[in-house]
Amino acid sequence: MIVARNLSKSVATERGRLNILNSVDLSIKPGEPVAIVGASGSGKTTLLSLLAGLDQPSEGQVFLDGECLTAMDEDGRALIRSRYVGFVFQSFHLLPNLSALENVMLPLELLARSNARAEAAALLSRVGLHDRLAHYPNQLSGGEQQRVAVARAFAAMPRVLFADEPTGNLDSSTGEQIIELLFEINREKQTTLVLVTHDDALASRCERIVQLKAGSIVDSG
Amino acid sequence: MTPFAGLAMRLLARDWRSGELNILILALIIASASTATTGLFTDRLNRTMVNQAAAFLAADLVVTSHAALPEQWLEKAAASQLRIARSTEFSSVLVHDESILLSGIKAVTKAYPLRGHLKTSQGAMNEEQHTLEIPAPETAWVELRVLSALGLAIGDSIEVGAKALNITRILTYEPDRRGNLLGLTPRVIMNHEDLPATEMIRPGSHIHYYFLFAGSEKAVREFKTWLKGRLVPGQRILDVYDDRPELATAFKRAEEYLGLASVVVVMIAGVAIAMSARRYSRRHFDMTAILRCLGVRQNQILWLFFWQLLLLGLAASAVGCVIGWACQESLVWYLRSLLPENLVEPGIFAYAMAILVGLVILAGFTLAPLLQQRRVSPLRVLRRDLVPAPLNQGIVYGAGFLTISALVWWNTGDWRLVLYFLAAAGGAILCFGGLVYLFLRTTRLLLPYLGMNARFGIQQLSRNATSNLSQILAFGVTFTAMIVIFLVRTDLIRTWQGKLPENTPNHFAFNIFPAEWESLRDWLAGETIEVSAFYPVVRGRLIQINGQDAGPVVSADSQAERTLNRDLNLTYTDVLPADNRIKQGVWWNNHETGLVSVEQSLAESLKTKVGDTLTFGIGSREIAVTISSIRSVQWDTMNPNFYFIFSPGTLEGFPSTYLTSFYLPADKEAILNRLVNKFPSISVLEVGLIIRQIQTILGQVTVAVEFVLVFSLLAGIVVLFAAVYSDIDERIFNACILRTLGAGRRVIRRNQCTEFVSLGLIAGLLAAVSSELLLWFLYERIFDLPVKLYWEVALATPLGSAALIGLFGLWVTRRTVRQSPLILIREN
Repeated sequence: MIVARNLSKSVATERGRLNILNSVDLSIKPGEPVAIVGASGSGKTTLLSLLAGLDQPSEGQVFLDGECLTAMDEDGRALIRSRYVGFVFQSFHLLPNLSALENVMLPLELLARSNARAEAAALLSRVGLHDRLAHYPNQLSGGEQQRVAVARAFAAMPRVLFADEPTGNLDSSTGEQIIELLFEINREKQTTLVLVTHDDALASRCERIVQLKAGSIVDSG
Repeated sequence: MTPFAGLAMRLLARDWRSGELNILILALIIASASTATTGLFTDRLNRTMVNQAAAFLAADLVVTSHAALPEQWLEKAAASQLRIARSTEFSSVLVHDESILLSGIKAVTKAYPLRGHLKTSQGAMNEEQHTLEIPAPETAWVELRVLSALGLAIGDSIEVGAKALNITRILTYEPDRRGNLLGLTPRVIMNHEDLPATEMIRPGSHIHYYFLFAGSEKAVREFKTWLKGRLVPGQRILDVYDDRPELATAFKRAEEYLGLASVVVVMIAGVAIAMSARRYSRRHFDMTAILRCLGVRQNQILWLFFWQLLLLGLAASAVGCVIGWACQESLVWYLRSLLPENLVEPGIFAYAMAILVGLVILAGFTLAPLLQQRRVSPLRVLRRDLVPAPLNQGIVYGAGFLTISALVWWNTGDWRLVLYFLAAAGGAILCFGGLVYLFLRTTRLLLPYLGMNARFGIQQLSRNATSNLSQILAFGVTFTAMIVIFLVRTDLIRTWQGKLPENTPNHFAFNIFPAEWESLRDWLAGETIEVSAFYPVVRGRLIQINGQDAGPVVSADSQAERTLNRDLNLTYTDVLPADNRIKQGVWWNNHETGLVSVEQSLAESLKTKVGDTLTFGIGSREIAVTISSIRSVQWDTMNPNFYFIFSPGTLEGFPSTYLTSFYLPADKEAILNRLVNKFPSISVLEVGLIIRQIQTILGQVTVAVEFVLVFSLLAGIVVLFAAVYSDIDERIFNACILRTLGAGRRVIRRNQCTEFVSLGLIAGLLAAVSSELLLWFLYERIFDLPVKLYWEVALATPLGSAALIGLFGLWVTRRTVRQSPLILIREN
């Protein structure tokens, strides 16, 4: 499903170039839940951003479902994201100006789905927010916001779901509920899950754990 | 509707509810309302002028000619359902017993006047009355001056040429009386049927034929277009602006001021829109990043914002139009005593323009900041510190300049003015912007010498030099615009009022023979009547320009063409008249002869410049003179003014009469009769009516000017909000960090005070300098007003600006010391 070849990322600093990722090779099968773990600054989030096509590598290639993301321009990658990719972020990233229902409808509307409203309402019911449809993000708790984000991530039936520290901003109990929900829907939808975390317990729930250290994979699981 | 239009509506509605768009909407509404008010009002003022013009012309359209018009033209007019009247004018010497009097005779047909009315009275002591009649055949109506000069009374008869006419009424008012020689002489009006019997119409007679037409606006317009292509030299369509330069000057200035003031309001609003659009754009980076993450393409992002802008622009401009309509209606209500009855409703075009202006300024000032959205990386969802690279400042300022240039051009139709504006604004921003930036960057050198509070405030200014520079420029431009609009208004009104003081000359005396003028001056002085200068008048025609026949050089139906086809009043003097100003070349010294100074607009129309040679025909002789200067003339001062002034020693050998003007209070009108009796050959014309007309129009314009000033004040307040709010998030955040580090309220407020007061002081200095420069340019080049330095404004502006921005900034940031820093950080 996802293949990364010789993936490197470096940035220019005042003291010369800083390598964030060094020649990473990685392959993830369809439906496989994979956790990327490592200490702060090990390059986890950078790897996720490259695999999801949110950023361009300095060197190397990324293939998503056979399509070379690194050969595409930004609009081409945007098209791939709208069709194949879903995201759940640590800081939820809901649009503050849209209600919970409208936030979940958004990816469906972008795909011009005619029954976007009904599908979004069903998904919000699935995450337990059937009575919060008209609420705006600032009227929801952190856990509720992340539920809306999970519903939005699965709305367009993505082939891959990228999750960046999905419980990082939640207390342990709420975080546990969100993870249960995430894995449950993931199983239902047979989605490939790429999860970035430094929480060992959460990582252990994935079939495979990729360990990063100083920008290189030290254990690919 | 695309998903983006729907999404745009939802986002816009939510932004509106949250107050995010308040400043943007307010600025847009003010710009549209100001454009609508001035647009609708000047539209109505124009119609007023057109209405009044019709009354001045006694018709909707007048063609003047040296010969009768072709019959087919009159048939065409009749076929177009136009009413037609004729008046034929000539001068004639009236004789009674031993007295003679040069008079202006007007023979009119039955329908005359087609617009306005004549006023007559039955005797010197009787009240004047409107009349729709004309003198019956065999009769004449004459001015009182004719009766007093010739010792006649109603019932007596006068001889006009070979025809004796019985005087039946005293003529007190003619709507279309002109300021030429015929109009200035004592008037006699008679029936056109008696004209042949006078035997005055002979080959070589100097006769003016006027053909008057009136009818529906459409018919008149079509007939005018039809006529224009058929006019031959010596024929022209009369225009109120050419016929009454004293009205045209006042009205033209007013229109120029209103047009420019409206652009200034739009410009100030534009600054507010640009500032708030920048903030709006910055606050939407996160949303854009999320949308990009969800797969929205870059162009789709732009469409999303475009839809929002379009909806916002339409809604705000529509509200602006409604406010503009209400303001304009109240203006009309306030001026109801001055405006004619049954005013035509304002045209739909004025409303459409107000909406268009709203959309144009919104696009011009917001598209550049919003283009930045295209550069927002989706990676921002993971790294919030990723801010899109700022747009090239050239694009940002370029879009703003282009917008204002388009509006200046639309309001003035003058490309030169647009170029002046671009050069001045571009130069000022580069020059002042560069200086302020350098100043901000160098303030850090002061830091070691400052206490903590001042140091922190100055550090903020220095470190965020780019952001602070744009705020200072915004304040600077706004204060400059407001100072200029206020001072120009004050000076214009003062100049108008100054031009028409209590003792503005209200009578012209002419046909004064050289032997008489000194005794007339002494006699008037004896009657304690203040009199303006006496000018010799020589009648002559311009026949050649640079040795070539002048006819082919000038455009058809231009001011120059009309000048060539009539006798001109030429004068000579060694002193430049007080209300004239040299625009090109130099005024002569006492010993130079053979020079002429030409009035500016006529020189342009004649396509002549300093150094060119003009040849005049005076009687049977010709005289060639060199143009030594081009003058501007203030026609509305009621002092004698001339298109051509010759240097002394050039015209002395030609026969001349003298001309002057003086003020006669209403209670001294009786002096006129004594004057006419003592100096029977002198003609006196009362021009009080013209003065009253000018004062009426100035009264209207002054109130309109006040309205525009209110709009500019409102727009200025919005800029204040927009600029202070533009980086309020950062300021609040900084203050919160300071508070969490233990800084007390007083420390924070002092820091903020230093920062805002410094911002205001620098912006005020900038505004003081740039407004003086701009005023110099406007007075010198546009409004033709005397240039002066405003010391008091130059001093008060920096202090006032520092106080205003300091207080306002402290008020806006007051939450930083009142609420918990945690709440504020979360909110921001």
